[in-house]
Amino acid sequence: MTAAGTLIDIAAWWLIAGAVVAGLFLTIGIDRIDEDSRGAYAFRPLLIPGILLIWPMVLWRWIRLEGRSEQWHARYRPPRAAHLPVAILLAAALGLAVIAGLNVRQTWPAQTVPERLSKVEP
Amino acid sequence: MSVKYVPVQWNRFKWGYDALLLIGTGLFLWIFIDLAPGVLSHERPINPQIHNARAFGACAFVMLTVILCIGPLSRLDRRFLPLLYNRRHFGVLTAMVALTHFYFILNWYFAFSPVDKFEAVLSANTNYDRVSGFPFEIFGVFALMSLLVLSTTSHDFWMKFLTPPVWKRLHYLIYPTYAAVVAHVMLGTLQDQQDQGLTVIVVVSAILVATLHIAAALKERVTPPQTSGWLRVGPAADIADGRALIALLPGGDRVAVFRHGDKLSAIANACAHQNGPLGEGRILNCFVTCPWHGFQYDVTNGRSPAPFTEKIPTYNLRVDEGVVFVDPDPNAPGTFVPPVISPLAERVS
Repeated sequence: MTAAGTLIDIAAWWLIAGAVVAGLFLTIGIDRIDEDSRGAYAFRPLLIPGILLIWPMVLWRWIRLEGRSEQWHARYRPPRAAHLPVAILLAAALGLAVIAGLNVRQTWPAQTVPERLSKVEP
Repeated sequence: MSVKYVPVQWNRFKWGYDALLLIGTGLFLWIFIDLAPGVLSHERPINPQIHNARAFGACAFVMLTVILCIGPLSRLDRRFLPLLYNRRHFGVLTAMVALTHFYFILNWYFAFSPVDKFEAVLSANTNYDRVSGFPFEIFGVFALMSLLVLSTTSHDFWMKFLTPPVWKRLHYLIYPTYAAVVAHVMLGTLQDQQDQGLTVIVVVSAILVATLHIAAALKERVTPPQTSGWLRVGPAADIADGRALIALLPGGDRVAVFRHGDKLSAIANACAHQNGPLGEGRILNCFVTCPWHGFQYDVTNGRSPAPFTEKIPTYNLRVDEGVVFVDPDPNAPGTFVPPVISPLAERVS
């Protein structure tokens, strides 16, 4: 099997595991850890795509909330200190992408003869 | 806003926001696909699949750029705050547009591959060791996966379940996503463009997003005080009626000291919903209203009015000779603290 095929298989298994977690969480877990969810069913299908994608995080939060080990202070601490580092990293990544893209562009800044990147195997 | 996850208070502004969003997106696609294909200067004839893919790809890029600009613009100038209101809907729509772009790409460029078309996306080009000819598709795949994670976790439940700080950290994914989209475009479609118009749009967008984020972050940069015990906030007379002074606490948390007539009360600056800056809001109908999404709290006990159940921490206050001091240790969310009387006329000598 190719590496790409393996990745696709892993993605498929990831989604299957997510479906199992979604089934358990939306029928059993959600009522245990969130009092606002009790008696509220219409919104639950909206959560399924998110659970399929980030089910390990769902399991982590579910276990944490079941254990009642959460400190309430943590809910009110937005990650403001990260704003500047994130902005600098974003600017650097954007700059890198733009410079790389313009540098390897064959028709910029002037028209040039097309360059063959790889030989075609017979 | 929702009570037991049933939407409430869906006002005309929010309906208008969503309507404008849908009309704007539809208009962009209509112009791109039907109205102006002749002015897009495609060097070679293209089929409808490619044309549609380009239309949805361009639309997703523009939408993502606008979304990324709304946050820092709101921090730099309060007049942009209304744009934050339904930004999550903006994000969900962007993910759907990006998914449609992927659908057209997948069912044209990879549909005739000898292997499965999803596998073909990952295996058609594996030149990861060079910049020229780099498999730009991988940036698009990463961006699409990220947009799907962000859009599927945008419901209010996720904020409560993950906690606003964890949700916010997860949604920082938007930044590498945007960088990946720019790389996807720069190393992809822009490699084949004779027309410089699209290049200028993409480069200007990237510069705009980067500049706005750095400017907004620099504006907010402050160092927490290193003191212990009660913290000086400022003169009581500096707090306008219905408004707040925000103070940074030694641990890095922020407290908002509000004036309501001649009474002062202190609450956490972070809204329970998305940790929006409550201190930048104002008191409306006796409740402080978050400038981001309109969540409301009683400043004396940090509780949302019934039927809402949100709670935020409160702080103890005192006023010495017209100067406000706050106890940096918060009370548990929803704890009542009697307001401190401080007439508006009282001024520091």
